[in-house]
Amino acid sequence: MTAETVESIVDETRTIIEDPSYPMARRWLEEHPGGKVLGHFQVYFPEELAHAAGVLPLKVAGFDTALPIRKADAHLAAFVCSIARSALELVMSGTFDLLDMFVFPPICDVARHSCAVWARNFEDVDCQIIYLPHNAASPAAVPYLTGEYRRILREIEEVASTRVSDEALRRSIDVFNENRRLLRELYRIKRDTPWNLSAVEAYILTRAAGVMPREQHNDILRRALAAIERRDAKPQDRIKVVFSGGFCEQPPLDLISVLQDACYIVDDDFMVGLRWILEDVAADGDPLEALADAYLNHSDYSPVQHDPRKPKEDMLLHKIEAAGAEAAIIAAAKMCEPGLEEQVGYSQRLYDVGIPHLVMEFEEKSNTFEQTRMEVETFAESLLFEFA
Amino acid sequence: MSDITAGIDLGSTYTKAVLVAADGTILGRHEGKTGFHFAKAADRALRESLDDAGVDRDDVTYVATTGFGRYAADLRDLAITELTCHAYAVHVLFPDVRTVLDVGGQLVKAIRMDDKGRVQGFRLNDKCAAGSGAFLEKTVRYLGHDVNAITGYSEKATKPVSVSSVCAVFAESEIINHLAAGEKEEDVTAGAVVALAGRAAQVLKRVKPEPPCALTGGLTRVPLVRRQLEEILGFEFRVPDRDLGAFAGAYGAGLLAHQRLRKVRATEPVAV
Repeated sequence: MTAETVESIVDETRTIIEDPSYPMARRWLEEHPGGKVLGHFQVYFPEELAHAAGVLPLKVAGFDTALPIRKADAHLAAFVCSIARSALELVMSGTFDLLDMFVFPPICDVARHSCAVWARNFEDVDCQIIYLPHNAASPAAVPYLTGEYRRILREIEEVASTRVSDEALRRSIDVFNENRRLLRELYRIKRDTPWNLSAVEAYILTRAAGVMPREQHNDILRRALAAIERRDAKPQDRIKVVFSGGFCEQPPLDLISVLQDACYIVDDDFMVGLRWILEDVAADGDPLEALADAYLNHSDYSPVQHDPRKPKEDMLLHKIEAAGAEAAIIAAAKMCEPGLEEQVGYSQRLYDVGIPHLVMEFEEKSNTFEQTRMEVETFAESLLFEFA
Repeated sequence: MSDITAGIDLGSTYTKAVLVAADGTILGRHEGKTGFHFAKAADRALRESLDDAGVDRDDVTYVATTGFGRYAADLRDLAITELTCHAYAVHVLFPDVRTVLDVGGQLVKAIRMDDKGRVQGFRLNDKCAAGSGAFLEKTVRYLGHDVNAITGYSEKATKPVSVSSVCAVFAESEIINHLAAGEKEEDVTAGAVVALAGRAAQVLKRVKPEPPCALTGGLTRVPLVRRQLEEILGFEFRVPDRDLGAFAGAYGAGLLAHQRLRKVRATEPVAV
């Protein structure tokens, strides 16, 4: 029998992530009649809480042109980012009619107010905000967040008509620890040998975590890692860059593809919420406290979390250095206040330390990228050659 | 043996490969139809150019691709835009030139560069075949000939017909009408060349050309294109000799490959 290839696994996974009807979740519901589904908005949500209650957690990360906006525009103004509108459209259009509960982390004004819009329009869905601590460095942050996780867990228990034991939470933490370990390995390969795993492939394989049961995603990652191991592609002479700006709204796959034609994207913040916790979460002690501690103290950074211990410009510089990158692409989604605000700080710091960078904006619904191709190629060629 | 690089220009119509020595000398070259499979076209062009030069594949240190299919060839070390390649090739061939007009199979590109050969600005033709080599190819096909007939016919013309339409589809109808009206084949061919040169001149004007300009691309093989451009614009065009105009993209890629090797070795002692 021929061993399966990275291409075949990625193709199969791409079909799943590009289908706004969440086909894997529908299959799970067929196999678990009466099962409950919890959706959550970007960036991070402790999915272990839902998993431990036997509830399927799904991440809503927007959609490209596969989901035209028809109804949501009547509820959200044109100056609101695309991901908020496409998340609302998913449910209003009936495409994503699976939800029993939906949680918004208060990452920005739009997300915070979206909860009220959703609650008014979807009476059958328990819409919640998970109030993450504003100051992650405060000594009160861990106890506070542990309490908040407990409150959300009670809501989930009510929706699922069940009680969740600490043991069940620990088992779920194990499943997600394994997922995070596999994702770290995927990103290590992309960083060390980017010719063996393209940015688009890594993106597809990562994003799939949010649209299927995590055990199934772990299986896909194991298969993919085995197939990548067998791959021996020719290294090419491309500049190595870090992409910043994919923490919430996601650039279309075709845009990532255009970027990777000219550069190796050796690290990024695409779907960073799925990789937010950087180490294994402790499986002993109070599991809610362990999850809260991991979120606050063993985690990545993003423009939507305030943590004076992690100045974002420093974190970006560290990421660039750790990845061995020579340049950065500093992107932001159109109309994204946190992203556009941070873009200024990132750009200024990179100027100061002399790291070449390309500043750009994107939108999940864009479908022509020739302009971007020209920009990124010109940027790459300005670094590749010395015209003396 | 010092480094040999390969520049491969995967054009929409033809694929050209040039092997370049460290001093810029061309050691071998090849041109063939691109067809539908860019990777195979690149492999073939490289193989043939190696045969032409009498060198082994292992002697080629670095491969740079350019052109429409530059990302489709896995044998590459680097893909470079045609703009950068044509500009750099012209910079090496004619150091005093600052403006390049590249007329290829599908695109017309006007490029402005600085005194180092670095692209400063450019314009492309619109998405329309009427200003490209493919239009001429189609015209001679109506006459029952292939692309090689363009030069011969256009040189024999005494009174080029007028092809006024800016759209290749409508221009085809005009050409059929001219032929039906009994116009000579060479005058019809020359009429199409004159029309093409007029459109290419319009693209060039948009980058504010600084004479003298250079002409590159497959249409450098049709002397009427150059004469017509000089007549319309009123200044001289330089055309690379030894048929290098058609190979300018590939040659530029090969030269830039050397440039890249030098830069990598200067910054990293590890051999590439």
